[in-house]
Amino acid sequence: MREICKSVKKKDHDPKIEGRSVYVADYNTTADGREILCGKLLHSTLAKAEVKAIRLPEMPEGYLYVDASDIPGDNNVNIVLDDTPVFCRGVVEYIGEPIGMIVGPDEKVVDRLLKETVVEYNELEPVLDIRKGTEFFFSYEFGHGDMEKAFAEADKVYEEEFETGYQDQAYLEPQGMMAEPEANGRMFVHGSLQCAYYVHGAVARALGVGPDGVHVLQDVTGGGFGGKEDFPSNIGCQVAVAAKKAGKPVRCVFGRREDLEFTPKRHPALCKYKVAVKDGRVTAVDADVLFNAGGYSTLSAVVLQRGIIAATGVYDIPNVHVTGKAVKTNTNPCGAYRGFGAPQTFFAMEMMMSHIAQDLGEDTIAFKERHFVKKGDTTSTNGKYHFPVPLPAMVDEIDALSEMKKKHREYAKPQTGRYRRGMGFSAIFHGAGFTGSGERDLIKATAKLRKYPDGTVEVLASNGDIGQGVRTTFPKIVAHELNIPLEKVYYSHPDTARVPDSGPTVASRSLMVVGELLRKAAIKLRDIWVEGEEQEVEEHYKEPDFMIPFYLDRFEGDAYPTYAWATNAVEVEVDTYTGMTKIVGAYGSFDVGTPVDYNIVVGQMEGGFLQGLGYASIEKMNYDGKGRIRNNSYTDYLIPTAMDVPNLKAVMHVEEYPDGPYGAKGAGELPLVGAAPAYIEAVEQALGGAAAHKLNFAPFNAEDVIAELSKEVQ
Amino acid sequence: MVNGYKPATLREAVDIRSRESVIPYAGGTDLMVQNKANAVYLFLNDIDEIRQIADDSEYIRIGAAVTFTEALASDLVPQLMKEAVSKIAAPAIRNAGTFGGNIGNGSDKADSVLAGFAMDGRVRLVSAGGERVIPFDDFCVRRGVTNIKDDELIAEILLPKDKCAMPYYYHKVGGRNALAISRVALAGVYDVQDGVISYISLTVIGEGKFTRYRDVEAELIGKTVEEVQAHIDDYVRLFIDRMTFTRGRVSAEYRKTVIGNLIRDYLMTL
Repeated sequence: MREICKSVKKKDHDPKIEGRSVYVADYNTTADGREILCGKLLHSTLAKAEVKAIRLPEMPEGYLYVDASDIPGDNNVNIVLDDTPVFCRGVVEYIGEPIGMIVGPDEKVVDRLLKETVVEYNELEPVLDIRKGTEFFFSYEFGHGDMEKAFAEADKVYEEEFETGYQDQAYLEPQGMMAEPEANGRMFVHGSLQCAYYVHGAVARALGVGPDGVHVLQDVTGGGFGGKEDFPSNIGCQVAVAAKKAGKPVRCVFGRREDLEFTPKRHPALCKYKVAVKDGRVTAVDADVLFNAGGYSTLSAVVLQRGIIAATGVYDIPNVHVTGKAVKTNTNPCGAYRGFGAPQTFFAMEMMMSHIAQDLGEDTIAFKERHFVKKGDTTSTNGKYHFPVPLPAMVDEIDALSEMKKKHREYAKPQTGRYRRGMGFSAIFHGAGFTGSGERDLIKATAKLRKYPDGTVEVLASNGDIGQGVRTTFPKIVAHELNIPLEKVYYSHPDTARVPDSGPTVASRSLMVVGELLRKAAIKLRDIWVEGEEQEVEEHYKEPDFMIPFYLDRFEGDAYPTYAWATNAVEVEVDTYTGMTKIVGAYGSFDVGTPVDYNIVVGQMEGGFLQGLGYASIEKMNYDGKGRIRNNSYTDYLIPTAMDVPNLKAVMHVEEYPDGPYGAKGAGELPLVGAAPAYIEAVEQALGGAAAHKLNFAPFNAEDVIAELSKEVQ
Repeated sequence: MVNGYKPATLREAVDIRSRESVIPYAGGTDLMVQNKANAVYLFLNDIDEIRQIADDSEYIRIGAAVTFTEALASDLVPQLMKEAVSKIAAPAIRNAGTFGGNIGNGSDKADSVLAGFAMDGRVRLVSAGGERVIPFDDFCVRRGVTNIKDDELIAEILLPKDKCAMPYYYHKVGGRNALAISRVALAGVYDVQDGVISYISLTVIGEGKFTRYRDVEAELIGKTVEEVQAHIDDYVRLFIDRMTFTRGRVSAEYRKTVIGNLIRDYLMTL
């Protein structure tokens, strides 16, 4: 392993462990001693309705109501499209849509006023079922080969539908933002967020000011996992508008129930697959992918893009046709969560491959292995796998850890006891960085280093540390190139007033893209280093030369420069009396390229894998016939604990990427993606295999096991 | 600010309770979460009399303010009770949570109450005017409602020693392996002499209330294990048919099926 991989103490370790870190909810006053007003949102209680009137209670002095009429600029939060309103435009599109905000000094009084506020609605018919939705925010289609011929010549054609549910990010710190009008007229917005420049752009637009009229700081952030990619822009605009009206600082921190019910989650999906097989080989995949977008489009475009690009999994399929639609329903808008659309389609494709293999009477692992892509093969979008695909070696690695192949064969034999075992396997990739030409055309990242006369070096970039460790790994790269102690290099939470836009903290791109910019900048600085002087260097993103240009209108070209890879094996034991499924072992080999800090990366792999196992098993969330999410507490929305997967092993496989720092690729999302198919395959095998119980949805919990087994009795 | 009293003796505590509307507070694991505005608490953690685990000729006596962790370390507490409380929440909550609180808040999913029910447990209630000892069956009225009077405090949980000595069956099904409220659980104690069932108890979590079907239990007493197991479906049905399953977050079908499976498992392992 390279020198850079050696683990160091994280820069945020001491303040967090000692309780010194200041989160947005922790400020008693602003830094300049001003009182902070409490702002709370008035959420709609109907899924689709015209808001006829708002009847406010008598407002005590110092309390005010803020809504769309107070927005000085544009009532559109800029995300991908501009359809999400800062405050309701007159018709609410989902339960929870912010109609207005009540602001005042005392939280209890604000709560009372909110309770006493009456909204008069004219209720309209909501669309709640994704199958009945007729409005599509985004609709894509692509493919290659000759589908007609492939299906005409097929020995057998398989059709199946796969469904996956919501998943909440369950970050420790709920959403929260604060806005402070500054004496110079600027609006200072800060809080728990991933993408300072997204918030910056959104707030400037809502306030109707230029880029200099706003600056945005990331406070210490207690987890994001994608959940704080777009949503802080909404709250940021809401508190900024309120602070503008009040002429005072305003803070809005969500309660836990409010956060679980009304903030973005993973898109529920319905994937319809039709697959042609000839001579024991998959020759064509026709996939129709529906994502439940919710009431507004938010990030659905890019989530769907990543999802459908992965629709054929890690397999070499000669004929491909994929359609993808983001369906509008009158439900909570979905957004980003680790994996970003890919967990849904990988689940479908992995289960499809497994079901076909079982029908053909072939070992499912061997069947998948036979179809693996390799270096030089064509991607689903007619791009190219430019670098070695290490999947075969990674299969061997988890097999050595878990005896996966032997157990998989053993558990395929009929089982009749109370406890039955199964072994599941999945192989997946994560396209590293932004989808398509986003890095080149949209983000155009810039990163800087500033050296001070005392020899310390500051990293200037806009990527927020959300626990993934960029406050440590960025300085590590710079210190390494400058050959100075790590203590001499620091990276503060980004403030858009003083850092360039190095892009958002998303897509597992920060380390690979911005880390490489910083590495190059450090080399530059090393070359011009003059003792005792203040010096600054800057580096701009350049697309690697090897890339086949990506055209979004046709979905053609390299959607990603390279891929991170994973193989997962999950062994389960199902208690047929109670439906409880014990995870005997969960094993993953993960190739994120060079791990720039071994402990940080292994931590990411273990945590993400556990989240994926939650997605597969117990994290069930749905809405009722009115469109309301009922299980909005951690008592009713369960996520796995360490006790649920005591035997979880993550090993690193290193396939270095020449354009990432020291060979690093994207790490953040990879470990979540393959857990669900591996787990569900294992449960399916324990229940007797696809011939007895064909499983095609996730999460699959104890109730589902008992419901499946009840079919046998009847 | 929390307003409250911190008496040092049970006598003092019941005097306060008789005078004023106070919320008895021992471990606080539920009350801290509820964090009621303007509540006045009666803190019971310092009262030694209700922090003891003792035994007399008839009962194992567990003080109302004994924590689950303390019970797990005790040689007197029967194994069934230990197994049930060992699965409550997580260590931090077991360090604070108490037996008095577990039964006092009227939950229909309290793990120590399930075990106590199966062992014919009793509750000793104390007030300024005196005391009474009532069976769990009488104390737990329905979900959220107990038989405690406004001036009473729970002093002790009493577990009959003959029941503590019996073999037992216990199985808990939560939503996950830690920090999980019981969705379904079954506890029972039994005595088999020369192949004949001389005593059996059975109680469940998952019905929406705690109860004992003593008449059904009585039908099993005197039967041979062999006979019960030979007609296992009929005996499972005797219990299941008496149960009613209210709607809940976990489906009634699931709870009914799993309780049936656990009753079968229990009777098959006698």
